[in-house]
Amino acid sequence: MNLFQFCYGLIHWLVILVNHLWYWLGGVLPGALGDFFTGIGDLAASHGNIAVFAILLEVIVFVIIAFINVLNFIWLDRKFMGRMFDFYGPYYVGYRIGGWLQNIADGMKLFVKEIITPAKADKAGFLLAPIIFIGSSFLALSTIPLGSNFGVETSAHDTGVPGGALIAFAFFAIAPFSILVAGWSSNNKYTLIGGMRSAAQMMSYEIPLLLTVASVFLLAGSFSFNGIIDAQKGIWFVIPLFLGFVVFLVCLMAEVEVQPFDLPEAEAELVEGWTTEYSGMRFGLFMMTSYLRGYIGGALATALFLGGWHGPTLIPEPIWFLIKAYIVFVVIEWARWSLPRIRVDQILNLGWKRLMPLAVVNLLIAATFKTLGWF
Amino acid sequence: MAEAKKKRMSTFGYVAKPMGRTIRQFYGSFVRGRPNTILYPYQKLELPPTYRGKHTIDFKRCIGCSNCVQICPNDCMWMQKLEDPELGKIERPGIDMGRCMFCGLCVEVCPTVAIHETVEFELADNLRARIKFDPRELRDDKYADSVVEERVKHTIPVLDLDKCTGCEKCAGECPEMCIAMMPIEAAGKSKPEFTLNRCTGEGKCAVSCPEKALTMKDVYESYFEMPEPKFVLKKCTGCGACVRACPADAIYMMEMPGTAKPTKDGKPGKNKKRAVFVFEKCVGCGKCFRSCKFDAIDMEGVEE
Repeated sequence: MNLFQFCYGLIHWLVILVNHLWYWLGGVLPGALGDFFTGIGDLAASHGNIAVFAILLEVIVFVIIAFINVLNFIWLDRKFMGRMFDFYGPYYVGYRIGGWLQNIADGMKLFVKEIITPAKADKAGFLLAPIIFIGSSFLALSTIPLGSNFGVETSAHDTGVPGGALIAFAFFAIAPFSILVAGWSSNNKYTLIGGMRSAAQMMSYEIPLLLTVASVFLLAGSFSFNGIIDAQKGIWFVIPLFLGFVVFLVCLMAEVEVQPFDLPEAEAELVEGWTTEYSGMRFGLFMMTSYLRGYIGGALATALFLGGWHGPTLIPEPIWFLIKAYIVFVVIEWARWSLPRIRVDQILNLGWKRLMPLAVVNLLIAATFKTLGWF
Repeated sequence: MAEAKKKRMSTFGYVAKPMGRTIRQFYGSFVRGRPNTILYPYQKLELPPTYRGKHTIDFKRCIGCSNCVQICPNDCMWMQKLEDPELGKIERPGIDMGRCMFCGLCVEVCPTVAIHETVEFELADNLRARIKFDPRELRDDKYADSVVEERVKHTIPVLDLDKCTGCEKCAGECPEMCIAMMPIEAAGKSKPEFTLNRCTGEGKCAVSCPEKALTMKDVYESYFEMPEPKFVLKKCTGCGACVRACPADAIYMMEMPGTAKPTKDGKPGKNKKRAVFVFEKCVGCGKCFRSCKFDAIDMEGVEE
């Protein structure tokens, strides 16, 4: 039974429960009114309606999982960073569970803060930017399955979103656009510089990133996550494509804007980068979404290179997937808190002169393996 | 100046080295030990003993000379008159912590090292009146003995002029020849004067004194040059106010023979008295100067 079937069954059971009321009303009330209620019951019990609600329920399940993971990620990041810098990190709020509740406390604080829109800001863009940023991130998240039977699927026979990896990268790459919109519409020099830097940064990392992903597609022969992960049943792609994995990780760090590549949000130079003018829970959502993107990045690296949910059957598939994603995230955070930020010209040099040739070499390696018939 | 060499940063130097450094730090603070942070309300940093915090006053050491009150730059101290069951009527300083800037001058100026600054620093309160400490709240008679004393101590002979007969035995015994018998003007007696920078503190003079007027005492060397009272004999009326005012018992009243005038009845009257100073005991507080109504004591650098 996959997640869609489970959700379908749950919605179906609920609909039947509620339909007792509609059919009872249809029986009691006379004439056209009774027919109307009977019609509502029939509509609710139709296959299309239940399928739509089942997909919505799937999405809710994934969003909840993502939220819990994001809370874990922020906590892990702060604890790990603290220990690397020789202090405790979150400690008092929920000290029995290692200060885990600190994120929730911070979120509550952000909730009660005032949300300010600058007087001279472009209102439409200022409101639209967070929506695009968060929405595109959640869309990218929704395509990634956590197990062979645990992903957003559109029917009982589907195996995940067809072409899911392509869609995930497409949505993942929308974020710089929203950053540019946010930076421009805030009407502030720091946000504007941040947005422009984001656009310049995207030039450098997006092409090597997609070239390494293309090499994975080449080896797997599939665009969907299920196909790619099934192809890694014998050997993880990190072993033949180690070069590609390294390039992918570096580009991923640029994509999720963590420290050596956090040019749009350079605290030392631009006040808070492109989020300077956002206050209250809007900033909180940006912050949360940036960690969500870290989670998506870890999940993508896991799915494309680290064999996805494959592992000894002692632990269930989604847990394997999450463990690997957490490890990738921790490695990213390790680099994040160790390395100094690079300049705009340096990131372009790095992207075009180092990562791009390496990605092409990696694609050649993948093509060679495929031609030799090893995969 | 060393030559500024442009170093080409390798991937190892740029990525691997800092990452290795951080992971070693992580190992140090997570696996091997704990982070460096002190979680303040629950754990407390062990402060160095020279930390300047809340004061304590040793009531038994304190002589009530008010030197600390006089030197305080913020005027946050005052002398308070107390009745103590053990010590009787005394004067001890109180401190307003709201005005104190913890400069430590009161500690340095104290001639008997009775006042100390502890490591106690949590003095915040809702009311300012609560951090204005009475001398009784600051009293700690054991603290001064428990800390390491930094001030230099000298063992010197201290004279009790009431017992001294002027027999000159101490002057004869002194191996450093630092005792000279000086006559007291108009009193017809002489008292030993000590050249203290030659004194070695052996105590032979104290042993030799038949009246036990000399005792060896530990006296703290002062950081400050304290003023000494200058006595004007002509103006002294022999009232004895300075003797009662002196906290260190350094002033004695002595009769001047031959100054007695017969009373109207024809009986022989009493001799006039004069004050005699024993400067080894003097702490330079200026209380005698302030108590003298007849300007017989002059003291430079002391406020009225």
